[in-house]
Amino acid sequence: MVGVVIVSHSLKIAEGAKELASQMTPDRIPLAVAGGTKDGRLGTDAEQVRSAIESVYSDDGIVILYDLGSALMSTELAIEELPAIQQARVAVVHAPLVEGVVTAVVEISLNKNWESIIVTLQEMDFGKAP
Amino acid sequence: MSVKAEVVIKNHSGLHARPAALFIQTANKFKADIVVSSGVKQVNAKSIISVLSLGARGGTQVTIEAEGPDAEQAVKDLVFLLATIDEGE
Repeated sequence: MVGVVIVSHSLKIAEGAKELASQMTPDRIPLAVAGGTKDGRLGTDAEQVRSAIESVYSDDGIVILYDLGSALMSTELAIEELPAIQQARVAVVHAPLVEGVVTAVVEISLNKNWESIIVTLQEMDFGKAP
Repeated sequence: MSVKAEVVIKNHSGLHARPAALFIQTANKFKADIVVSSGVKQVNAKSIISVLSLGARGGTQVTIEAEGPDAEQAVKDLVFLLATIDEGE
């Protein structure tokens, strides 16, 4: 099953997005969050992103959604730290966070594959990436 | 083959999050291209965000239109779903 990682500057936003998306399906979707800094402030932290990825990683693939453009840097750093074989199955998508996470979870519950979920999510990109 | 039908949404709160998810899960079982419309807005019945964007409330009428080999069954199942769904919230 494809997994989802939510990266937010705020742990509350990340957990809220996870809570909302989880309501969309009775299926248990692999969903991990990385929100805020290690000392509980607003921000993003590459190490936390990396452990979130590792907690839900499978060869079926991972999609990562983030809240604001600046979260992308920590996310990319985290991905660079992964073994190459995992890097190839981890995709950052630029869909709006809440809509993207809800869509990802519903698409996963429909047993869509990683490639097709990425296409669906990228269609929602409104230009949030730098 | 194109099939079209109208249905009044039974669920009191309309096509909000979970009913919308159920709706698109059903729509995705079919090969047919399916659109659902409420008022002048028409969207892809297989996309959760599109269906949520309809803002279709309970008691309102929506139109479901499908085109493809299994269009007839698709419309039948989706009409049945909207006419009977009732999760009490």
